Amino acid sequence: MLTLFLFLQEVFFFTQQNTARVVEAYVGEYASGKSEMAINRALELKKQGRNVTLVDLDTVEPFYTLRTLKNQLEKKGLKVLAFSREQSFGLGETGAMLNPAARWALWQEGDIIMDVGYGVLGAQTLNLVEGAYDSPELKIMAVVNYSRPMTGNRERIKKYINSLGRVDAIVANTHMGDESTVDLIKEGNREIFAVAAELGIPIFFQALDEKLRDALEESWEIPVKFIKRFMPAAIW
Amino acid sequence: MPKIFEANKKAFITGNEAVAWAALAAGAEIMFGYPITPQNEVMHYWTRLAPEYGKGFLQTEDELSAGFTVCGAVQSGKKAFTATAGPGNVLMQEPFGMAEAMRLPLFAVIQQRGGPSSGTVVYSQQEVTLTTFGGNGEGHRIVYSTATHQEIFDYTIKGFNAAWKYRFPTFLLGDGYQAKMREPLEMYNPEERGIEMVKTYPLVGLEGKIGEDREPQHLCNIYSLEEELYEVVMKFAAEHEAISPELVEYEEKECEDAEIIILSHGVVSRAADDAVKILRAQGIKAGYFRPITLRPFPQKQLREAINRRPARKLLIAESAYGQLDRLTKQEIYGETVAIENLFMPGVGIIDYDIINKVKSIL
Repeated sequence: MLTLFLFLQEVFFFTQQNTARVVEAYVGEYASGKSEMAINRALELKKQGRNVTLVDLDTVEPFYTLRTLKNQLEKKGLKVLAFSREQSFGLGETGAMLNPAARWALWQEGDIIMDVGYGVLGAQTLNLVEGAYDSPELKIMAVVNYSRPMTGNRERIKKYINSLGRVDAIVANTHMGDESTVDLIKEGNREIFAVAAELGIPIFFQALDEKLRDALEESWEIPVKFIKRFMPAAIW
Repeated sequence: MPKIFEANKKAFITGNEAVAWAALAAGAEIMFGYPITPQNEVMHYWTRLAPEYGKGFLQTEDELSAGFTVCGAVQSGKKAFTATAGPGNVLMQEPFGMAEAMRLPLFAVIQQRGGPSSGTVVYSQQEVTLTTFGGNGEGHRIVYSTATHQEIFDYTIKGFNAAWKYRFPTFLLGDGYQAKMREPLEMYNPEERGIEMVKTYPLVGLEGKIGEDREPQHLCNIYSLEEELYEVVMKFAAEHEAISPELVEYEEKECEDAEIIILSHGVVSRAADDAVKILRAQGIKAGYFRPITLRPFPQKQLREAINRRPARKLLIAESAYGQLDRLTKQEIYGETVAIENLFMPGVGIIDYDIINKVKSIL
């Protein structure tokens, strides 16, 4: 089972690397780390010299996710389709609307990384993006943090993933903020991998805060991406 | 009910989720609510948990109804609660007033947001006055101001108990930051920590004949006779004052020899705590005082802290234009310590804001 699983994962990576452009949507439980994964993935692609657009698809509270980070991320060379602080001025609670440019995100050139914020409807939110369901390029990534009680055991993770609709791969993002340890992450992600294997969904990567880079002693079977956490600075 | 939490397992959640889980742990039976930022996830998570644990939820047509339905539910003996913010808190002042008048064990979570406005959703600490003294009454309430997710969990459990034990409407006062930010906390079943949950009981429909088997249950929010109103308000005031010593909670650090005491509440006290540590390391004798209960206010303890050295200055730091400042001044009337302030409505306060202010006034 594990062999098949690893094989599927390789196929997945192979497909990823050879697609002309990367189109990924990050979905998952509220506060599971979707925005963090989307930002880090977008910056990773940007570092490879690629043209990357990051799209905020939070339909519930569109002004609290990437809003405060927009300028900072644009300085790093990303194109960010999100309302800026200035654009959202005066909208307040009545401004729960999709940035019009986000609807046409797939018409952008280059790689598209979509942050499907809030997590209530999972992949369903992508119906707001023209052409998303017909896109052969789109990969839907479900972000899971085992330290979140709603995805805090195998049964709950399975139930949750199944509720999301289409999921092409899972990002294992177990962490406990500043109290994260490599052991805690390893233990949580092991549970996520077990569910992924059962559901036949490949693991895209497991996220590890770059602060823990030195604490990682052995290499892990499932690829690790070291991430920098931007969201703690996104205080609104 | 199935066991909710595994022992000694931490969780990484938002403050709003902490409220929902804590209400479940406290044995709450039903939530009434109306959506408003930044408390939405209290409702979202409660509605996800409710079917699993056989609990109830009703989304009412507005906050007035949410408040009144809680008033109704607790009279039938149900452990009920609500959560709101900003203009929702304004609307709920009428049912909160009813709960004051009828001495109902109402529990509400307030996640403060900015004002004046009906639509501003950003963080602020501008609902202190409203939550402590809102409504056409005397503020006979219990208000806990939390600073961490652990406290949100702990004081939600405590809040239900305080409401049912003392029969004054009880509030947990958080804010937009605490509602939305994520941090680790330990969730637990209260019984396993030796916390006994106060049993709920119906206030109406009681057995026995009035006058023979039992006294009448006097649940009234209409007093048409001036003398009667006078008697009732004086009685409530005396009872509120009598329970205050056992209710007040506060945190005090480094006040023994402090030249300046920084007073703050809620999430701002985290910055004040850091600021005091940094100032101390720099040789500045700063102290820290934080009321956890804003109603009743730990006025005796604050007076003692001020007079220990005595401190020359009291710096009141808050994300509001003087709501904590006014509350404090009325509570410590007569003290001669010089009161300075750092008012930053709508804006988060960090340690260096406080440090810079301290250095500018010492």
